[in-house]
Amino acid sequence: MAAFPLVVNFVGDYGFKVVLVDDALTIGQVASEAARQLAGVVVAPLAPGETLSVKLPGKAVPLPADVKLADAGLIHLETVEIHRADVGA
Amino acid sequence: MAMLKTEEWYDLARQTNWTPRYVDKQDLFPRELSDLHDLPDDAFDVFDEPYKVTYRDYVRTQREKDVGAYSVRAALARGRFYENAAPGWKALLQLHFGGATFLEYGSVSAFGRGTRFGKAGGMRNMSTFGSLDEIRHTQVHLRFAYDYLGKSRAFDWAHKAPRTDNWVVISERHTFDDIEHTRDATSFAVMTNFAFETCFTNLQFVALSADAARFGDHTFATMLQTIQSDEARHSQIGEPLLRILIEHGKTVEAQKLLDISFWRCWKQFSPLSGICMDYYTPLEHREHSFKEFMQEWVSDQFIRKIIDLGLDRPWYWDIFLEDLETFHHAQQLGVWLYRPTGWWHAVPGVSPEERDWLEQKYPGWNETFGTVWDVIIDNVLEGRLDRTIPEPMPMICNMSGFELTGVPGKKGKVVDYPLDYKGRRYHFGSEVDRWIFQQEPERYAGHLSLVDRFARGVMPQNAEAVLQYMDMAPEERGTDGTNYAWVEPYRRLRGKAA
Ligand SMILES: [Fe+2]
Ligand SMILES: [Fe+2]
Repeated sequence: MAAFPLVVNFVGDYGFKVVLVDDALTIGQVASEAARQLAGVVVAPLAPGETLSVKLPGKAVPLPADVKLADAGLIHLETVEIHRADVGA
Repeated sequence: MAMLKTEEWYDLARQTNWTPRYVDKQDLFPRELSDLHDLPDDAFDVFDEPYKVTYRDYVRTQREKDVGAYSVRAALARGRFYENAAPGWKALLQLHFGGATFLEYGSVSAFGRGTRFGKAGGMRNMSTFGSLDEIRHTQVHLRFAYDYLGKSRAFDWAHKAPRTDNWVVISERHTFDDIEHTRDATSFAVMTNFAFETCFTNLQFVALSADAARFGDHTFATMLQTIQSDEARHSQIGEPLLRILIEHGKTVEAQKLLDISFWRCWKQFSPLSGICMDYYTPLEHREHSFKEFMQEWVSDQFIRKIIDLGLDRPWYWDIFLEDLETFHHAQQLGVWLYRPTGWWHAVPGVSPEERDWLEQKYPGWNETFGTVWDVIIDNVLEGRLDRTIPEPMPMICNMSGFELTGVPGKKGKVVDYPLDYKGRRYHFGSEVDRWIFQQEPERYAGHLSLVDRFARGVMPQNAEAVLQYMDMAPEERGTDGTNYAWVEPYRRLRGKAA
C-alpha cells in the first residue's frame, strides 16, 4: 500500500490532473476514484450505470480493469486517460 | 561655457574597448559570461544603438517621467477609484503587481550583466541605463502597489512573491532565470532585449495601458506608459547584437536563441495578458481581443522585423497560431478553479454577454471551453461550491511551469508530451516546450515543478499542506472576485426557461 500519483486526463477536461491513489486499488477502482474527483467538477457527472475505461495515450486497448495499479507496470506520474464507456470499450 | 554637441563626442566617449594591460582579455570578458558564440573581439566595434542618450538627458527625462506619474497618483489619491472598480479590474491590478514587480527587480541585475560583461562599449553604456530604468520600474511598482495595500492584502505580493514557492512565482523564476540570468551577455541581449522586451513587454504595457486609460485607471495607465517609454529605448540593445551575430555566420545560433526565448515569453504572457485582456477587462472597455492584438503586434510587426534582419519566423509558427486560439482560455479555467492558490481574486468573465463576445472572437469557444464552464455554472447555481475547486492538483508542465492543458469538450484535444531523461519522466504541455528541453537537457533537468515536489513528498500530500508550502496565508488565498454574483444572470435565464 503506497500513494501512487497518476497524471490523468478525464476525457472532456481541459487538462491533466495529478490524481493520488493507493497502489492497491485496481485500475477499475482508479477510474472510479478519478470520476469521484472530477466528474461533476470539470466534466459532466456520470450517468447512472455509466462505465469507464483507462487507457494509455494513443493506445486503443484499455488497461485491464481488474489488475492492481501496483502490478500494472506504470511509473509514478504516468499519463493515463479516463474514457467514458462509449469510446472504444 | 561652450559645450560640444552630443553627436560630436558621443560615439567616441562610449568606445571603451581599449586593450587591457593588467588582466587577460579572457579574464576581463570570460566566455561564459560575455559571449559563448566566440565572435572576434572587433566584431563588437560596429555595435550601434539606434537610440542614443547622454546621462544628463537621461536623468532629466526620467525625472520628468517620475514627476508625471507621481503627480497623477497624488491628484487621484483621494478618489475612490479602487473601491469602485469592477472586480475584474481589481483582479488585474492584483495579478499584475504581484507578478510583475519582482521581474522588474530581477531585470536590474540582468542589465548589470550587460553593463559588466557586454563586449560592445555601446551595449555596456545602454545596459547601464537599462539597470537604472529597471530600478525605477521596481520602485514605481512597489510604491503604487503599496497605495492599495490597505484595500487588499493581495498587494502584499508585490513585495512577498519572490520569497515564496507559489506555483506562478516558480514558473516565472524558471522562465526568466533561463532567458535573463543564466546566459552570456550576448545571448541575453537576444533573448531578453530583443525577444522579451521588444516583443512581449509591449503587450503588457502598451495594450494594458490603453485598456487602463479607457477604464479610467489613469494612475495605472500613466505608470505603465512611463515604463513602456524606457522599454522602447533599452530593448533596442538586442537588434545590433543580432546583426553582429548574423554577419559573423551565427544565424542558426541566433535563430535558436530567439525561438527559445519567444516561446518561453509567450507561455508567460499568454496567461498573464491573455486573461487580463479577454476575461478581466470589463467587456465594455475591451477594444481588441488578445488574439487580435497579438496578430497585429507579433505576427505582423515583430515577424517583419525578424525577417528584415535575415532570420525566419520560429519553426513552430503553426503550433503558436493554434496556441494563440486556445492556451489562455484553458489557463483561465485553471486559474479560476484553483483560485485559492493565487493571491488575486479571480473572476470568471463568462456572463452570457461575455460568452457571446468570446464566441465571436474565438469561434467554437462555447462547445470547447464553454463546456467546462457549464459544469461550473451548474455547481454554483446549485450551491455546490465545494465542487468548484477540484480536489486533485493540476498537472504542471516541466518547462512553462503552467498547467498542462489542451482544449476541452467533445471536439477537444488534450495531449501530454512526455520525455524520459536519465531515469526521470518529464511532462511538457507542447512539442515546443519539450524541444526546448532537448536543446540543452542539463540546463533544465533536475528542476522540480510544484507537482514533482508534491509527488516526491517534499510536503504532506494534501491540499492544505500545498497551500502552506506556497506561503498562501489563509487570508491571502484567492476567492471569487465577485462573490459569485456573476452567476445571477444564469439563474434568471434558467428561471425563465423553467
Ligand atoms: Fe522593466
Ligand atoms: Fe526592461
